[in-house]
Amino acid sequence: MIKINNLDFAYRNTQVFKNISLEFEKGNIYGLLGENGVGKTTLLKLICGLQKPQHGSVTVDGLIPSMRQPDFLQNVYFLPEEVITEDTTPEKFIQKIGDFYPHYDFALFNELMKELEVDLSKKFNELSHGQKKKALLACALSLKTDYLFLDEPTNGLDIPSKALFRKVISKYCTDESTIIISTHQVKDVENLIDPIVILDRDDVLMNASFAEIIDKIYFEYGPERLQDAYYTEMLPGGYINVMPNTEHEESNVNIEALFNAVMKNKETIKNLMK
Amino acid sequence: MNNTFNINRFGKVLKHDGLNFFPNIILALAIIWAIPVVIYLFTCLMPSDETTQLYDPFSRIDIISTLSTIMLIIAPARLYRYCNDPRKGIGYAMLPASTLEKFLSMVFYCIIVTPIIYIAGALAIDSILAIFHGPYEGFAVSYYFDRFAQINAIFDKSNVMMDESWILYYKSLSPTFAIILSAIGSLTISSIFMFGNMIFKKHKTGKMIGILILMFILFMIIIINYAVNTEVLTHQIDDKAEFVKHTVFFMMNVMFYAEIIVSALMLFGVYRKIKTQKY
Repeated sequence: MIKINNLDFAYRNTQVFKNISLEFEKGNIYGLLGENGVGKTTLLKLICGLQKPQHGSVTVDGLIPSMRQPDFLQNVYFLPEEVITEDTTPEKFIQKIGDFYPHYDFALFNELMKELEVDLSKKFNELSHGQKKKALLACALSLKTDYLFLDEPTNGLDIPSKALFRKVISKYCTDESTIIISTHQVKDVENLIDPIVILDRDDVLMNASFAEIIDKIYFEYGPERLQDAYYTEMLPGGYINVMPNTEHEESNVNIEALFNAVMKNKETIKNLMK
Repeated sequence: MNNTFNINRFGKVLKHDGLNFFPNIILALAIIWAIPVVIYLFTCLMPSDETTQLYDPFSRIDIISTLSTIMLIIAPARLYRYCNDPRKGIGYAMLPASTLEKFLSMVFYCIIVTPIIYIAGALAIDSILAIFHGPYEGFAVSYYFDRFAQINAIFDKSNVMMDESWILYYKSLSPTFAIILSAIGSLTISSIFMFGNMIFKKHKTGKMIGILILMFILFMIIIINYAVNTEVLTHQIDDKAEFVKHTVFFMMNVMFYAEIIVSALMLFGVYRKIKTQKY
């Protein structure tokens, strides 16, 4: 379990987090959403130990990430947004680092490379940007770490690759593993993530499962724009209205509409979800 | 599992860094290995009376030693160039090994493996050249580990160090201590540049050389200022030989302890930077 308590963090004069508290429970695929620059990547780096909190604490299964102890590092893997690869094949790369991870599975790596349609024989620098991302995803999943952090993993992927991404993530995620996917492209991770964490500058606006969201918020698809909706968006054939779920009716979560509704009604929805 | 040091995990770090070793340093090694060959080819084109000194194995050892120092200087930036890079260094930081294991592996490859591979290669190249070229007097490898033969050769041939004090100093050393002295000198150079590699993001070696030059200039200004102000030179001028001897022995002792302290501080700095580097 990841626990963040009263976290303060700033880059020189830019405050990123101010007294935020957050928990990520095991066995879930979290969607970490937020506008550009709110600190999604910074939060992942703090959880990975690549940055150190100025105040407050971050712990992962009781371990302090910034100490970068092997017991911690062997259970986490961070795949940054920017594709950084070595002058080698993905196979040689994973063989080089795999030994450090106790649950590393080379057969799974080969399986994932096939499933993601990446050529095993090519070096990283001979692969396209999207292919590199998929190869690195195969590497990350084959390490079978308890915690996997993916920063904007669908950036640069074509439409079929995005579908493959969703497929392998849902297929290979176990009850023991926790995946946090940071993205601002919410449609790419629809039907994959649950719960959702929405970050704002200095604040956490939402940390809720789909069940909790549906319990409090109603997504109405209809022909007209409703006055009491938090947010309304025109869709082909009508409107989607995001509204308070006063009648406790069931509806399908539209993550993009939810995100926009939260951004437009920060305090209202934050208080509603408490 | 022990989070400070585990021998199996350390073996994995050595293997991991070892797999990166040759791809990262082979070009630099090849260039530096080629320099004695270029000098050899150059000597072949020159009239023999002007190049006699270059045929001498001790001169060749000097060239190899100087180039091995250059290898020590450039090795950290070649081998661990990206370890403090905010983007490219993430993989290194997240590698599941302790700071101590990463540090020891860095020390092993920068301070031990690189000079050994360079010197072994350079002596092998020298031996091949000596076999094929008559004027080359003997093999450098025969004298490389005979530090006293090297020192004697320097004092016999060079007119630069006229003062007996240096000879007296070196002759006062035991063979083991002479080797230790040489090793500490190399350790100091290497540790300074390892530290530079950890604190600078770009132009690591150049910036560190710049800082060393500035520090040297500053040091010289302070020393000269001190000497002039305290009239040390004028007071000692009457008994110059004794003064020089005393100064040489004193300076070398100070240098010895200073090198140990600087190396320890630099290596501790490297360890701290590996542990606390933010990305």
